[in-house]
Amino acid sequence: MWRKENMWRQPPSAVRTGRTQRSVIWLAIAIGVGIAICPARSVGQSGVSKLTENLPAGTMQQKATTACTECHEARIILQQRLSKAAWTKEVDKMIKWGAVVDANDHDALVDYLSTNFGVDEPAYQPLRSAITATKKNPSK
Amino acid sequence: MTSRRDFLWQISAMALVASSVSSLRSWAQAPTPTIDVPGEDGLIVRSFRFVDLETPVEYFNTWLTPVPRFFVRNHMHEPNELDAATWRLTIAGEVEKPLTLSLTDLAKLESHSVVNTLECAGNGRGFYRPQVPGIQWQKGAVSTARFSGPRLRGLLEHADVKASGKHVMFRGLDEVPGRVPLFIRSIPIEKALDSDTLIATHMTGAPLTKHHGFPARALVPGWIGAASCKWLTEIKVLDSEFVGNFMSPGYRLPNQPVKPGDAVKPEDMHPVTGLNVKSLIAGPADGSRIKPGRILVHGVAWAGEADVAKVEISTDGGTSWKPTTLGQERARYAWRLWRHELTAKPGEYSILSRATDSQGRVQPDTAVWNPSGYLYNAIDQVKIHVA
Repeated sequence: MWRKENMWRQPPSAVRTGRTQRSVIWLAIAIGVGIAICPARSVGQSGVSKLTENLPAGTMQQKATTACTECHEARIILQQRLSKAAWTKEVDKMIKWGAVVDANDHDALVDYLSTNFGVDEPAYQPLRSAITATKKNPSK
Repeated sequence: MTSRRDFLWQISAMALVASSVSSLRSWAQAPTPTIDVPGEDGLIVRSFRFVDLETPVEYFNTWLTPVPRFFVRNHMHEPNELDAATWRLTIAGEVEKPLTLSLTDLAKLESHSVVNTLECAGNGRGFYRPQVPGIQWQKGAVSTARFSGPRLRGLLEHADVKASGKHVMFRGLDEVPGRVPLFIRSIPIEKALDSDTLIATHMTGAPLTKHHGFPARALVPGWIGAASCKWLTEIKVLDSEFVGNFMSPGYRLPNQPVKPGDAVKPEDMHPVTGLNVKSLIAGPADGSRIKPGRILVHGVAWAGEADVAKVEISTDGGTSWKPTTLGQERARYAWRLWRHELTAKPGEYSILSRATDSQGRVQPDTAVWNPSGYLYNAIDQVKIHVA
């Protein structure tokens, strides 16, 4: 990667000279158009992501959000990969600890969690915190 | 000679190429999204609310972990307001002379320092199969710092513990949502009276930060992180182990090995205390592409209350093991850095690391499964591509 970096750092005049200029221009236009039509990223230019995540769509999304994220954010759920039996135990523990779940919604909530966060789902990919404090003095 | 028209073409071409190259650069290097957690640098965000941050293994290249890179584990919300001037620590229960101390009182007591490797009991939980609920830590819920503050023993002697005092309970100021049980745990009196068990107010030369328990925390060296209660406000001497969720069923291991996935009754389990023997590879990074020749393999190894005797690496799937060189920096409860230089020809490599401690414990091929996913310590592995 560092070699590419060095190439990009060269002044534009050193990139191409002479008779290839027009093809370079067309290439540049093509690249520019290509970049312009790329789908927008989900984060802002600064690369700062939102602090907390959302639960996935589904008929129980709203009720699960109310019941669970009162105390903790969705990431704690997003990273679990559990069987239906294990989800049932977790939901029952959380109800004991104060999660408000209507008895009629209990089974649907367990289904929602075990469908979205079952043992065979691909692993959750966590983000990292920004680097600010050690940027200037890594020993601190 | 260049005509005016050619000159304009050149200028436009330069400008276009420059702007395209610049756009391409910023596109190619578009920053990976990150989350702002003030004071905590480049950590893996397992959860933001409440805060649980894991240290990436590539940071494990110094004996002491810089505080902004030190993992953070919270069971619940951090205290909203902490005023050093009004904060108090009480010591009561099975004692003759109950005490109430301010931060100024603590600062007047003789300070003792302990370099300790602090590891969350659940570090590596994410690797257990079948999966178990909880924060899905992988390798980095572990870090090392120099903790300083008065010895707990000194305070207990001052309070004059009765003969009936057998366990010492810690309560922190964690803010508890809903009907979640308070984060209260206890340690046996023998460990509380150990000369290295501290009421720590400082971490690697600076006052504790809020994430690490300001203004004071327990420091129970060599034991799981949960023993070292943060935002400490109450110490109570008890005649028996504290009864509460974070002593049972929480933080318990089966008395006998169980079939992975089986439920175990709390009465068939015992509290988790000291850490396991364990090593991690900090470099080269898993999945990295490296040029043939000399490759430095390095990492950390620790063993809780025991000493690391040796760390070995294998590049043939564990058939043969080569010794590594342990770093000079050492302290009773601190990890050791280790390193070994390999000479590698082009190809795919799997590098394994295995630690052995002074009690003869050896890092196993497979960690012993338990219902809460504690003390994961299987042999570490990274795969690299040499070309």
